[in-house]
Amino acid sequence: MAIERKWGMAVDADKCTGCQACVVACQSENNIPINESDHFLQRRAIQWIRIERYWEGEFPDVKARFVPMLCQHCENAPCEPVCPVFATYHNNEGLNVQVYNRCIGTRFCANNDPWNVRFFNFWEPVWPETLRNQLNSDVTVRSRGIMEKCSFCVQRIRRTVREVTREGREVVDGDVVPACVQSCPTNALVFGDLNDDSSQVSGLSKSGRQYRILDQLGTEPAIYYLKKVDPNAITEEAHA
Amino acid sequence: MGVTRRQLLRFSGMGMLGAVIFAGCRIPDREFIAESPVLIPEDLVEGQDAYFATLARPSTGVESVLVRVMQGRAKKIEGNPDYPMSQGKHTAQAEASLQELYHPDRIATPLRRVGERGSGEFESISWEAAMGELQAKLSEFSGNPGSVAMITEPLRGALGTVASRFASNYGATQMAFEAVDQTVVRAALKNLFNQDRLPIADVKNAHYVLSFGSDFLSNWHAPLHYNWQYGEFRGTENGKRGTLVQIEPRFSMTAANADTWVHINPGTEGVLALAIADVILKEQTGNPAGMEALRDVIEANAQDLPTAEDVTGVSQAKIVKMARDFAEHQPGVAIGGGLAAAQTNGLFNMTAVYLLNALVDNIGKKGGLLFNPEAPLKDVESSAAASSLVDFQRLADRMRTSQVNVVLVHGADPVYGLPGALQFRRAMKDNVPFIASFSNFMDESTAMADLVLPDLVPMEGWGDDVSDPGPGYESIALQQPVVMPFVDVRSFGDVLLATAEGLGGDMTRGLPWNTMKDAIRSNAEELFKLNRGSIQQYPSFEEFWIGVLQRGGWWDTKATSKDSTKAKVDTIPGQATPTFSGAAAEYPFHLLPFMSHSMGDGREANLPWLQATPDPITTAVWSTWVELNPQSAKELDVREGDILEVTSPKGTIEAQVYVNPATPPNVVSIPMGQGHTFFGRYAEGIGSNVMSILDAVSDADTGALAWGATRVKLTLTGRRSRVPKFEGMVVPRQLHERPVYQISKGTDHA
Repeated sequence: MAIERKWGMAVDADKCTGCQACVVACQSENNIPINESDHFLQRRAIQWIRIERYWEGEFPDVKARFVPMLCQHCENAPCEPVCPVFATYHNNEGLNVQVYNRCIGTRFCANNDPWNVRFFNFWEPVWPETLRNQLNSDVTVRSRGIMEKCSFCVQRIRRTVREVTREGREVVDGDVVPACVQSCPTNALVFGDLNDDSSQVSGLSKSGRQYRILDQLGTEPAIYYLKKVDPNAITEEAHA
Repeated sequence: MGVTRRQLLRFSGMGMLGAVIFAGCRIPDREFIAESPVLIPEDLVEGQDAYFATLARPSTGVESVLVRVMQGRAKKIEGNPDYPMSQGKHTAQAEASLQELYHPDRIATPLRRVGERGSGEFESISWEAAMGELQAKLSEFSGNPGSVAMITEPLRGALGTVASRFASNYGATQMAFEAVDQTVVRAALKNLFNQDRLPIADVKNAHYVLSFGSDFLSNWHAPLHYNWQYGEFRGTENGKRGTLVQIEPRFSMTAANADTWVHINPGTEGVLALAIADVILKEQTGNPAGMEALRDVIEANAQDLPTAEDVTGVSQAKIVKMARDFAEHQPGVAIGGGLAAAQTNGLFNMTAVYLLNALVDNIGKKGGLLFNPEAPLKDVESSAAASSLVDFQRLADRMRTSQVNVVLVHGADPVYGLPGALQFRRAMKDNVPFIASFSNFMDESTAMADLVLPDLVPMEGWGDDVSDPGPGYESIALQQPVVMPFVDVRSFGDVLLATAEGLGGDMTRGLPWNTMKDAIRSNAEELFKLNRGSIQQYPSFEEFWIGVLQRGGWWDTKATSKDSTKAKVDTIPGQATPTFSGAAAEYPFHLLPFMSHSMGDGREANLPWLQATPDPITTAVWSTWVELNPQSAKELDVREGDILEVTSPKGTIEAQVYVNPATPPNVVSIPMGQGHTFFGRYAEGIGSNVMSILDAVSDADTGALAWGATRVKLTLTGRRSRVPKFEGMVVPRQLHERPVYQISKGTDHA
């Protein structure tokens, strides 16, 4: 099968302010259950995209660093081959897809996921009756016992492709925007087709500042990070 | 044994046949991707949706948004790509207004109190009954109109006009409440530049930003717009990456993103700003005219470098470097607010900070400080200043002496947000005969009410807003209803207009409209007549009206401020050094409260998305914590999760310890926003309200609450519980040789 597009993202750490707009936009778009206090205490909160904060130094020479973290949609995803029921697979557009109605909740994929971006539904998601009005009808609500993860807002990709086809034209850079990228006030997140040499994301993926997190595993992540620029950096890394 | 030619041919033939058969039996590519016969998420067919431009009004500032509506339900908030303050972006708070709309604890009908005042026990009544009671009370006290107090949030736009004309026609006392107000910044800008409206710093074009306490990436002024500008400022699109220096006694989110965080002793920002100005003056690196005009006032007030170092705690070398960088890397801009203004010498600090802009003559220029003109409409309030702490103190005193008969409260929760030392709750509960609330949630002030007339949320009603601060030119954002209310509520503006009509006489003076929609439309007609700006040359008003609603507002990039950019200042008001409530010997720590990044001053604590949004620095959620320096924690022998009593001269609250490596040793920080006794299922009973232990100290000149001027002591309770937080939820993947977070010192910047 010919691979037409390869969706990917660039994350400019120099622009990310840690404002969390992407986190809430994602939760709204993708019907993510309300993360209660207990969920955090049990380390079972669900955030398809999250902002990790790293410390560098201690007062007065101290820096805090922010890294948006989401499913890396790896070309050789280690979570895919371990699924016994093909609930997660790689589609021909570079997406690491999760098929909820196949998932039987073995959690092998989460075990094999080095980025901790797969989430298990330990509880049946519950919203008060009125809040259910807000749920996005394009996105399945995941029931207890199955895995979920960032889908690159696949529902938006499908909708855009369908609308663009109806208009009788090709998808161009900027047509498809996942919820997190759309909200990002500083434009730190850029989404697009890595196979399209003219796309913004493809340009950023070749930047002098680009690197991929846990690149040494050889999984070929589709998310390119751009290094934070800091002439006054204490070290060239930050600790967790 | 040799292989004959015949055998060789047979073997190779079999081999080739085997290869063909094997290849033929290969599973086709498609089969590797097992397809389910049922729908998989990527094949879902979605329904029809529609997008409408309207406003979200989170506590961080009004945002123009597009709402995705499907079958009459609002599904998603997206930033309005057209409106200059939004640029297609939106904040977490704006997104969460969906949960405000569909909140299970929204007040569904008008209510009449049945239990004891403050108990929160109400019965449902009809709108006719509620409006009748309100009108009867207002008629009853019309002989003593000053005894009626109307407390709202600072209101702009048409609703601001309606509310203020209603109050002035009646003769009522009008107050505007905001827990963290901009009174001091506004006063400084008024004194220096005669500005009533907040200016905007052109951060995106600046090469150097000197920020004194203004946490503009989190909660200060227009954080959404400033975040967008910051993205441009960091980008290489301008050919130069800007430098941000944050001067603040606390490590805020803006400090975390700054190139340099300069830790300063609380309340000494003015001394530092003047020391910087003095260096610029001595080295003659400022604008010649600016230096000449300000020479006398700077020389009269600036302290010499060694004294400045002593007072501020910032080294002389750093002061000189900031002065040189600021003068050299123009365009640059100096802004101030937040903790620097929340001191007893706030006005001194702010005047000194904003003076720096005049010294380098950056006002009205690219990369500098841009003034915002008034809206070109007579029936629209362009700016909305909050009343000061001293105003509220006076109101509480009048309540205690039975001079206040009626309190009308809308969009403000003074019972929760005013410092505990004011005893505002008690004054209102015991002394005010009649309280009516127009809130859509049962907050602390509404729980005290006798009558509740619930308002719409912005997505259900008509409105507008003059962005304050604006983008540096005239701009008006419009709000239209995008969904029908699912509860029996009415617009506050409509209720005021109907009440004015019902009271008759002079009450309708200047209020010719029947509804807020009429007011918005008549303002739009004036805009249509201007025939300039973003929407123009429409043949008819009806077409203009549709256009202006579709785009979410009107703006004119050419209509910039014509005001003089010269600073007028003879003296710097107030004291150079601050005073604090509580003696240092007894109360060893400065208490530096801060607005919760997600929930602000507490107005959004009822929204579960925002409760569950990790604080950017500590990553804590659903709680109140006290940030402590690691060394201080060691000395007190406490660790994360230990519950401490935080005691000021005016009260005590409990909070969990969070050991923060960036907290200075003489400081503790506590987020605002929690500790609600009312306000629905997601807010009640969580954490503590830091405002309740603040002393009622204020800026000497403006009377604004000095919320950074209380000192505290810490006592162990012996109890502990884990801090709910994101940090530690996933295992660290950091390898020394392969850091997750990589930093460039700028050499490979591309």
